[in-house]
Amino acid sequence: MSENPAANHRPPPPNSEEFAAESPVTGKGRMEAAWGSTEGDEDITVQASAPQRGDGHIFQQIYKPWDGQLNPRWMRNWSILRHHLLGIFKKGHRPWGVPIRLFLLIVFIASLSDVGLTIISGLIGDSGLHSMWGISRDNLYAHVLGFLPRNMLYYPVVAALLVGGVISEDRQHGTSALYFSRPITRFDYIAMKFISVAMIQALIILVTLALYYFAEIATMGRGWAWIIDTFPMFLAAMGSGILLIFTYTSIGLALSSVSSGKFFPGIALLSIILGTKTLAFIASNLFDREILYLISPYDCLAHVGQAIIGVEPTYDQYSWTWSLAMLVAMNGLALYVLSSRVSSMEVTRE
Amino acid sequence: MATKPDSVYRGMDRKAAAIVEFTLRQYRTKNSTWVVLGVGFTALALIFMIYIAAMTDVVEAVDNDGDSYDYDNDGYPTGQEVRLGTDPFDGSSHPGLFDPPVVPDPASMYVNEDGFDWDLSASGPTATMGFDDDGDCLDENRTASQKDQNDNGIPCDILLVYYQSVLTSGGDWEVLADNGVDEDPDENEYAQEAIHVAFVLSIGKLGFVLLLGIFLPLFMATGLIRDEMSSGTMHFLIAKPISRTEIFLYRVLGYLGIVWPYIIALGLLGALITGFLGPSDGFFRFQDLGVWLSIIFATMLATLVYGMLFNALGVLWKYGIILAIPFAAWELGMALLSMGAPETTLLRFSVIGWALMIIDSAAMFVWPNLDLFIAMGNWGGNGDGGWLGDSSLEGSNALAFAASKPGLGLSAFWSLTVSSLVLLFQAVMLWFIGGALFKGKEIQ
Amino acid sequence: MIPDFDQQGKAETTAWQPEVNVPAILLENVSKSYGRIFALSNITLALNGGVTGILGMNGAGKSTLFNILMGKLKPSQGSVKLFGTDPWKNPAPYVRVGYVPEHEKMYDWMTSYEFVSTFARLNGLTRAEAGVEAERVLEFVGLSDVAHKKIGQYSKGMRQRAKIAHALVNDPELIILDEPLQGCDPLARTTIMNVIRELGRQGRTVLVSSHILQEIERITEQIVILHHGRLLALGNLHAIRERLDQIPHRISIQTPTPKQLAKDVIDIDEVYGISFPDGQNISIQTHNLAAIHSQLPRIIVENGHTVTAIDNPDDDLASILGYLTGGGGK
Repeated sequence: MSENPAANHRPPPPNSEEFAAESPVTGKGRMEAAWGSTEGDEDITVQASAPQRGDGHIFQQIYKPWDGQLNPRWMRNWSILRHHLLGIFKKGHRPWGVPIRLFLLIVFIASLSDVGLTIISGLIGDSGLHSMWGISRDNLYAHVLGFLPRNMLYYPVVAALLVGGVISEDRQHGTSALYFSRPITRFDYIAMKFISVAMIQALIILVTLALYYFAEIATMGRGWAWIIDTFPMFLAAMGSGILLIFTYTSIGLALSSVSSGKFFPGIALLSIILGTKTLAFIASNLFDREILYLISPYDCLAHVGQAIIGVEPTYDQYSWTWSLAMLVAMNGLALYVLSSRVSSMEVTRE
Repeated sequence: MATKPDSVYRGMDRKAAAIVEFTLRQYRTKNSTWVVLGVGFTALALIFMIYIAAMTDVVEAVDNDGDSYDYDNDGYPTGQEVRLGTDPFDGSSHPGLFDPPVVPDPASMYVNEDGFDWDLSASGPTATMGFDDDGDCLDENRTASQKDQNDNGIPCDILLVYYQSVLTSGGDWEVLADNGVDEDPDENEYAQEAIHVAFVLSIGKLGFVLLLGIFLPLFMATGLIRDEMSSGTMHFLIAKPISRTEIFLYRVLGYLGIVWPYIIALGLLGALITGFLGPSDGFFRFQDLGVWLSIIFATMLATLVYGMLFNALGVLWKYGIILAIPFAAWELGMALLSMGAPETTLLRFSVIGWALMIIDSAAMFVWPNLDLFIAMGNWGGNGDGGWLGDSSLEGSNALAFAASKPGLGLSAFWSLTVSSLVLLFQAVMLWFIGGALFKGKEIQ
Repeated sequence: MIPDFDQQGKAETTAWQPEVNVPAILLENVSKSYGRIFALSNITLALNGGVTGILGMNGAGKSTLFNILMGKLKPSQGSVKLFGTDPWKNPAPYVRVGYVPEHEKMYDWMTSYEFVSTFARLNGLTRAEAGVEAERVLEFVGLSDVAHKKIGQYSKGMRQRAKIAHALVNDPELIILDEPLQGCDPLARTTIMNVIRELGRQGRTVLVSSHILQEIERITEQIVILHHGRLLALGNLHAIRERLDQIPHRISIQTPTPKQLAKDVIDIDEVYGISFPDGQNISIQTHNLAAIHSQLPRIIVENGHTVTAIDNPDDDLASILGYLTGGGGK
């Protein structure tokens, strides 16, 4: 039987994965072999040509290495930063949501209240009014670190809304894969997220502070002598503002990196800032113990701010260096959590 | 199976139980639930620790009338010299020269030697009270007019005059004391009591109703419907023969099933700690339990109303939390307003104003004489112990801040009833609104 | 966002009685528009009994139709009746409906037993009844051995079957499955198809949506074709094909001897054209597919041709849609 030459002409049992190169390329057969878009229990060889000797076809594989020039690192990072920043102003970049943008606008305008009052008092020319609204240590401090309304209703809420989805949304939607499949490091990724969130806050806190200072110069016609006198305290207010932005951002981003929800980080940041403040207030009001103010980020910032701007301190049971140390500890912890979470983040959709 | 359709609708309690159970189990699987509950516990534990430290500390006794000092360095405190008729400012005149010589009293005998003898249950418009324990007012060397400086005809007493405020339902006591009456009270005793009461009220109002009452619902109730809608699992729920208003309610009930036991546990813990450690004659301050129960009750109602509200905001809009945040800030302001001016009409448009009224009403039940007690501490013996002419005792300012009268001007019972009913009404209204919003929502 | 106050209050959980002699599904002139875009346009449809496949390309309106049936969307115009009751206003008819949503997201933290029994209780079953029913349906879909494992550990096909089990637990008369075969491996597909066919055989009304004709073909012949929100065809799949007789069909035959085969095939009257796309295939053009199919085997066998494949390249959804919308072939 086996000598029968006819047996050798019988086509060998079909291997379903083989396709004749000459058969019309419908894509269908290949797709089915690859993805099983049919049920899979039909005989797939129906679509395949009967393989014949010498019929196999090996496609020539040519990999053409990309020989372009990779842009420098700062340029790649800049595109991430730009993507986040421009999203505030126009479409086609990171969408921030209308309510968030609306709230930012409201807070920006509300933060300009002292600018407006300075201009008004300057125009009226009433020195009594001006001494109330114009540039002074207390007013510079209040612009950045005043509790009501700025650090109760404005800045923490802005920070909460901004950090809300900035990392957690990437995790939730799986868009972190879009970043990590590009030639950027994870450090670049968080650093740019951090800077973009901080820059938006700086727009609201520091830019309005600068406007406030320039409004004073413009409306009151201040000379160089005044500027030399007041510039150090303006710089100090700027510095404490930067510290505030940095602290809120690092805590907020750390919360954003541990959560996959969008709202949790925002509420958690708010409850940390306002909750610790309330607790510390209860303790100092009832028991005359200010020690709990050390766990309140806002109060640590305020204490350090009071020291560097030079206003009368409102915390008198411990030195401001304690507050500074606590701030360093809080930021350190937050940045540690942030970096360890992002470096161990699985690039999947959660 | 053919009999099923007849017996399928056998009461919605089965559906309710299923959704409540489902919601509870869902919370259990979320890390955020445990983080939030744990952080809430830690924060309150921190405050309780400070309370414990304060209660075990003794407030330093102050000699308000200065009679324990020995100005002339003759070894005899001023009080003893005055009592025995020698000159306290003359070192050569002291009871040691008597025959037989009098042994010097220890200075501590003249500290806190004339405590409060007040009848705190007195009511206006005027009342007289106090007793000169150390006899420096009733001294026979003093004239009748020296003994009755407040001109009410009674020597060595304290006259209290109540002024009804024109603007508010409350008022103020004016303290007109004869010199030397109750002038050297025991600071520690007053401070312990005042700080204890102020602590219970502050932790109840700010710690429980404000922090727990707002942040627990913010964290836990906003996503009750919204999370299901955005994750696509809502399809399983609404494809069942159950109306959406019911789903809304049962989801909130599931949330309450985890939040209410938590609040009750924390409240009872607080009641135990403050009951055992607070100053009392017995071993436990049983009367405070009433206030703690009201704190628990008020927080439960607050979490109910906020839960309904935030859940409804979540249904209303994808970014419901953004609406909830300004609302939470508003409620924070209302809480502070309620503690300062509880009769403000604006408070009637808040949730927290009503919830705090429950606590104030219960405090009025349990500590009916709080305002006189505060007035007593503010007066503080009128000695020279305080700085800047402020003779108030430690704790009285904190207590004045923490305590307030229920703002409606009703009796304690009626304030309690009205505020509870209003909160329940708010919850029901929000349920209807939330249910109607949910019903009208197209879900994809 | 504005509450719809037309809706009746809570579900009439005890009073609701299905109207007799109404179809399970009745849509009259239903349209659903988003602004100026019509997701569904003027659909009139009555369905009762048997398995019906809803076919359409992505975005044809299949999901919108199901969402309207499940009371998730409010039709812009027209009336929807599920057992005679408007599902947007009253969820009571769902007691007789089982629904398998398209969404992949499930409660991963539950076991399939918990999942099915919990949702059974929403149909009004007691805890004990729900447990019994859950075991029954999990057995039916073949998940009883993994019933106490977390859904999060399931494969795609097991998840789909868990969803189907959840839809069957109330013994529904109408079952709506939105893309139940999407993303399943071949084995799971076969299992799920068997389950669906079995449901149809039990006399229930089953609606299955898909965008792959071959899938639907293996389950049912009764189809509804949606295209751009409009009802394009309704009825037996092959009847629809027959109705398209004026349209040329192509039959592609793969053979090592195309010229010889063509010589024999040309004798069939209904063939009006033959072409040779390459050396291995012939392509027959005809107006009457059935006639060719009845004669072709005989010709092949009688003349001893070697044929390795016969295919109707046009018999898929895209070409049917193309014909129906007047665009010609692919």
